[in-house]
Amino acid sequence: MLKTLIGRELLDNLMTFRFAAAVFITLLLVVANTIVLLKDYEQRLTAYNTAVQESREDLREEKTYAGYSGTLVAHRPPNPLSIFNLGLDKQVGNKIEVYHAFVPTIWDAEKHGMDNPFLNLFTSIDIVLVFQGVLSLLALIFAYDGLAGERERGTLRLVLTHPIQRGYILLAKYISAMLCLLVPLLISLLLSIILLTTSTTLALRADDFLRIGGIVLTSLLYVSLFYLIGLCISALTRRTSTALMLCMFVWGVLVLVYPNLILTAVDIVPKPNAQISVHNQIKQMWEQLDKENKQFIRNDGVLSPPSRGGEDLAAGFGLEGVEYTFWQDEDKPSILLYFHQTGLYAGKIKAESEPQVPPVQNYYGFYNRETINTVERTWLVRKPALEAIYVQPANLGRMLLRFSPVGLYDAATEAWAGTDLEGIQDFFGTVQRYRRAVVDYFYDKKIFESRQWFAADKGTADWDALPQFSFHRSDTGINAKRALPDMLLLLTMNVILFTVVLLIFVKSEV
Amino acid sequence: MWHIAKRELYDNLNSLRFALTTVLLLALMLTNAIVHLREHPKRVQKYNDAVTGYENRLASYANESLYLLAQQGPGDLHKKPSPLHFCAEGGDAFLSGTVNAGDPFMYSADMTGVWKLSYPAVTPNLENVRPDAIKLDWGFIIGYVLSLVALLFTFDAISGERERGTLRLMLANSIPRHTVLIGKFLGALISVSIPFTLSVLINLLVISTDSDLHLNAEAWERLGIIFCIALLYMSLFLALGLLVSTRVRQSAVSLVILLLVWVTLVVFMPNTLASMTGEFSPSMLSGEFWKRYRQLHQELDEKYEDRVWSDNSDIKTLTARSEYFSLHVVLDERLNEDRLNLQINQFRHARSIIRVSPVAIVQHLLESFAGTGFERHLQFIENTQRYARHFREFVVDTDRKDPKSRHLIGIREGMAEKPVSPASVPKFEDTLSLSKDFNTRAMELLLLTLFVMVLLSGAYLAFVRVEV
Repeated sequence: MLKTLIGRELLDNLMTFRFAAAVFITLLLVVANTIVLLKDYEQRLTAYNTAVQESREDLREEKTYAGYSGTLVAHRPPNPLSIFNLGLDKQVGNKIEVYHAFVPTIWDAEKHGMDNPFLNLFTSIDIVLVFQGVLSLLALIFAYDGLAGERERGTLRLVLTHPIQRGYILLAKYISAMLCLLVPLLISLLLSIILLTTSTTLALRADDFLRIGGIVLTSLLYVSLFYLIGLCISALTRRTSTALMLCMFVWGVLVLVYPNLILTAVDIVPKPNAQISVHNQIKQMWEQLDKENKQFIRNDGVLSPPSRGGEDLAAGFGLEGVEYTFWQDEDKPSILLYFHQTGLYAGKIKAESEPQVPPVQNYYGFYNRETINTVERTWLVRKPALEAIYVQPANLGRMLLRFSPVGLYDAATEAWAGTDLEGIQDFFGTVQRYRRAVVDYFYDKKIFESRQWFAADKGTADWDALPQFSFHRSDTGINAKRALPDMLLLLTMNVILFTVVLLIFVKSEV
Repeated sequence: MWHIAKRELYDNLNSLRFALTTVLLLALMLTNAIVHLREHPKRVQKYNDAVTGYENRLASYANESLYLLAQQGPGDLHKKPSPLHFCAEGGDAFLSGTVNAGDPFMYSADMTGVWKLSYPAVTPNLENVRPDAIKLDWGFIIGYVLSLVALLFTFDAISGERERGTLRLMLANSIPRHTVLIGKFLGALISVSIPFTLSVLINLLVISTDSDLHLNAEAWERLGIIFCIALLYMSLFLALGLLVSTRVRQSAVSLVILLLVWVTLVVFMPNTLASMTGEFSPSMLSGEFWKRYRQLHQELDEKYEDRVWSDNSDIKTLTARSEYFSLHVVLDERLNEDRLNLQINQFRHARSIIRVSPVAIVQHLLESFAGTGFERHLQFIENTQRYARHFREFVVDTDRKDPKSRHLIGIREGMAEKPVSPASVPKFEDTLSLSKDFNTRAMELLLLTLFVMVLLSGAYLAFVRVEV
């Protein structure tokens, strides 16, 4: 019986104009946007590859180890799944310095060069956004006359004269509509995947298909939720025209108005000024280091004070053959970044200065060690402060968005694609571990107190032996774990709505 | 005709959609007003602080000497925030609020060149991990919500009556068909205008409660124009609704078609098309920019190297140096401007193509009448360029008045060392003019009117030929 019902419903749905229109529009939008997104991805990939190449060459040119500041750079590759949900992939920085004097975070990252910043004014439309707008609309269009229409035409009464449970009728309607909605979803996805595989630069791996599968599953839950909303409205109203009107307003509010309204109304702009005390604290820690540094030089018999920017360093500790000295100051209160470093470069140290070299080496061993300790201490206060400034308001915004299915859908697909905040943080976590590995390598090989740290005369820096940076996106399991809460919420809403529709339908008079 | 319009109006006023529309528009407009009250004082404060900083910098150099003014330049020039920011946000976050007129090139520790104009780009989202949203300005409310509402009011205007059989009844009377159509159109226009006007009035009421944000006569004039544009845009979608409603037998099918057209036209088309057409007039790649930069400087350096850097400061070296500095600035500025122009052209190209979508037209119009967005940014850049010329002329003129000066701009030994009265130094004033906006936008207004005309006459033709 159920089969017959489904068959009838399916036939009814498939032969309609709205179905043809639905398939056509979805295909058109998905294909057009895939082409645009693919081109954009290729551009970003080219920029990434050039940047990686350039920074590798830059690093090779450095003769001393101290020269790695600003030249040892980690680059974030564009995520191929950003075509499905762009998320933060294009927005946040993709170029980050690895240096022992600060812990790299999202907020310290910069961006590869942009050819035309004006083009940022156009929003990028990813495939999930198309589904979000079009499929939800289609689901409502399929649903609005599901019950009200049959009631108006009187066919509902006819069907119910047969000994069928009302639940079955509802189930049959639900299944057939979902099957119909699956068609545009799958065909358009298939087309976009075919387009993606024709591209030579974009390589989808096996686990990427699993992730795409996750996105499809989430899309299904999302579409089904909207179908049930439509059915609920249809069960509640007597006339189809009222049902249609209500559906459209609900769609407008949930998809178009609510997400934008809530994000504009609630103030989630980061307020760095609230954490200015933390910045001062960090500054004090660095001043402490400065003091210890001067103390060390004073206690050392050979070197003479003062150090930073002072005459002694400027004169290169009296070493003959120093070509230049440098000091680097960073002070960005908005991202709580503060550090300073000093250094010198000697091409060839003259023989008469040779006795001076071991104390200078000793000094750099001390200075770098203390710098790293200071960084560890500042990181303890900087990390929670950055979370409070940037992550918490963003999470508040995301939480508020979840009151609309659109927010849930977006969050879950972002998690699948790995373009959500956590996915991006994975990269910066890897960079932080890489910085640690470089520092450990420098400790192990005693590079901080080596002659090659500042002088290029007896052996130059060996960059090939340095640990190499590599980043792999997280496992599919982790993506799934991140997407799961939102998917479960969607599922629960589905179940609740289905029960509600069932209850209304069972109780209603025909 | 008025009779029909009146009947339509009464029908609509009692309907569910009227109530829902009123609630929706009021909620949106109120939020818009409240957010504006919260954000705008901050923007104005920021601008005022920046201008104070700029004036102090200028005064401190002027009090030192004319030479320092000529070397350091006026500094950062700031874009004035528009009081009508709530009408159209115009992607201001992506457009730089400053043009840099300072930043002289440092040749060595004791040798500094002359200031130049450069156009910094902004990457505003770098520190931003927030979810993105369309800003809730009038542009959004009119462009997206009002157009959707207009469709919902007209999708069953003809097909619904035909379904119910009342159309036949009406046409049995001796009313010409076009009267029926125009009556319906006017009825729908008035019934959508009522909640819209109401919400606009409440929005403006809330905004004018704050005494700091007083809107002057010109602002009200602009608001009036924006309101008219909104009505025109609304009529476009009403006409579209009537057209489809006439052609289609069932109202449900009519709504499905209209919604799909709306989603494509309003939500997706502008951005997708813009990204597709970016290719046709490519801008200068950043790699190419630096290549040209280095090449130009190499040529210049080769030409001047031996004459400029000698230690003796005789008149010949100084003249060459002054010439070298000014040529350096001219080359830099020309290159910066070339790149900017290419970027602007590429963007303009994309912008003119997306005008097939009426929502793009209406947003461009709103932006320019609200004094925000891209065209405004171009005006700002033009203002800064004019000011830069003016400033340079001022320096040359003042220097010429000094009999002791050797009139070599940018060289300490070659210029008047006397301080300048800060009041006499020209100040940068960012201005907006309505007449100019109107001229550049006339084309788009015309296009919008044309759209309405075509759709209305289409609806008329369809209705005349339709069988009841």
